[in-house]
Amino acid sequence: MKKIHKIFDHKWASTLLWIVLIIVAWEIAATVVAANNRSPENILPHLYQILAAVFSTSKVSQGMTAVMVVLTSAKATILRALAGFLLGITAGFFLALVMKLSGLLEKMLFPYLMLIQLIPVLGLAPIILAITGDINSSRVIIAAVLSFYPVATNTLAGFKSVDQDKYDLMYTYAAKQRTIYTKVLIPSAIPYFFTGTKIGAPMAITASILVDTLQGDGGLGCILSQSLRHAMSIYVFWLIVFFSAFVGILSTYLMTWIEALISPEKRGIRKARREYKKSAVSQKVSVCPQISIRRRKAE
Amino acid sequence: MSELQERGIEIQIRDLGVTFQDNAGHDVQALTGVNFDIYKGEFISLLGPSGCGKTTLLRTIADLQEPTEGTVRISGMTPKEIRLQQKFGFVFQQPVLFDWRTVKKNVELPLEIMYQSKEDRSKRADEMLEMVGLKNFSDHFPRQLSGGMQQRVNIARAFGIRPEILLMDEPFSALDEFTKEKLHEDLLRIWRQTNKTIVFVTHNIQEAVFLSDRICVLSPHPGRLSAIVDVDLPRPRTLEMKESPRFTELVYEVRGKFEGGSV
Ligand SMILES: Nc1ncnc2c1ncn2[C@@H]1O[C@H](COP(=O)(O)OP(=O)(O)O)[C@@H](O)[C@H]1O
Ligand SMILES: [Mg+2]
Repeated sequence: MKKIHKIFDHKWASTLLWIVLIIVAWEIAATVVAANNRSPENILPHLYQILAAVFSTSKVSQGMTAVMVVLTSAKATILRALAGFLLGITAGFFLALVMKLSGLLEKMLFPYLMLIQLIPVLGLAPIILAITGDINSSRVIIAAVLSFYPVATNTLAGFKSVDQDKYDLMYTYAAKQRTIYTKVLIPSAIPYFFTGTKIGAPMAITASILVDTLQGDGGLGCILSQSLRHAMSIYVFWLIVFFSAFVGILSTYLMTWIEALISPEKRGIRKARREYKKSAVSQKVSVCPQISIRRRKAE
Repeated sequence: MSELQERGIEIQIRDLGVTFQDNAGHDVQALTGVNFDIYKGEFISLLGPSGCGKTTLLRTIADLQEPTEGTVRISGMTPKEIRLQQKFGFVFQQPVLFDWRTVKKNVELPLEIMYQSKEDRSKRADEMLEMVGLKNFSDHFPRQLSGGMQQRVNIARAFGIRPEILLMDEPFSALDEFTKEKLHEDLLRIWRQTNKTIVFVTHNIQEAVFLSDRICVLSPHPGRLSAIVDVDLPRPRTLEMKESPRFTELVYEVRGKFEGGSV
């Protein structure tokens, strides 16, 4: 038992287990579906069939293979998602800042922020389209709206996580309000802000794909609905499912990576490791440095 | 004692009272009728059981708390005026360090707030870290340090701004005995070098006797000053003095003030 616990201390071990479990479950289901349906690929094809579609050279649309179709339309969708995401997180951050600056505004705004989250994307899309009159800016705005909420709420939570001691300390230094924001509040909120972006990034992508389905001028969602209406090979649909899942997960990892890149603490630790390695090499010592970060005990 | 008085009065506390409201809306008298003076360059302790108003008194001196009655005057000025001149150093019970700043950057923070130049800040922070024995840890982050080391950073930061008055609220109460003794010696050494006034809050009688010139004994319900004890142990203080008969006598004397005052 202890051994098992130890194995799962490694993150990759549990990830691997999950992947294996999902593959097994998928294949069992696909076998059952294949035995009972005439066109099982519409419901649940085998994984190897999807994999074959990735490498298939047969043209599905305008002389392009399935993979080419997906990648071409993915570019438009991801760029729109990215634009919306950047807009949304910027707005989310500044709204959190404004709510922190004005308690009154927080009381007036915060309870209604959640409503944005409650409106389904597909309901929101036509409304925004009606307002802007332009499908492309509507797509960007909807991706923005969805990534906005987790960033705004998490960043606000970050501002509020600053404990009284820190304010008291700054007060004894007679620090200006602006200094308290730049030196204490904003740095404290950064990890919370990134938590928000990690939730918001895949949401922006999902929103972007969903909104594509509304009007047909390129984009993953557009191809996806064509494929579902059998205007194109159904495997295009399956490729999009896997591709968007992959991009969604990747976007979260990307956020983690960016956070590590800019976090002074992680930067400092990387620097220390590099220096240690350098000195270890010169001394012909091959022990890995154990630079540990103690997490503050949860109170 | 007379030597202390010759240096002049720095902090004057007159008829000080602080009343809080508890959750039920009842008045809680944290402090009442507190009268005493603190001399320039003195090491004075505020000693008493938990809840007797030590923190409240210290915070009132630092302008973190408004008095309900009476006054505090520091060199003839109000605590607020002194605070705005950035003459206070406050050491909280928790180290209050900033996780995203290195040890050195933590020490530099108040100097940044005071618009000192980059070179001055860096030089001063190096000096302070050397003084508290953390020279080799300046690029570490607070979470990589032990509790005792974090409290040293806190002290380095407080002395870094060259405060006129250093206010310390039970800075060592969360530390083990070994670390505490080491930090006592360090604190006294730094104090001797800088000659600033230190107001030190503690609930530990031995600690108060070892460190202080004078001890203000506070009693609870309501918080008030019940006695001031002069500590006539010679300076510099050494750990061996804790074994001396005079030390034991003083501890005994201070303890007597408690039992007389509060029960
Ligand atoms: N902000 C506050 N609001 C209400 N009551 C308080 C507040 N601060 C302190 N008190 C009360 O005042 C009394 C003295 O508190 P404090 O100064 O913290 O004592 P000490 O530091 O000696 O333990 C206690 O009874 C405490 O409950
Ligand atoms: Mg206290």
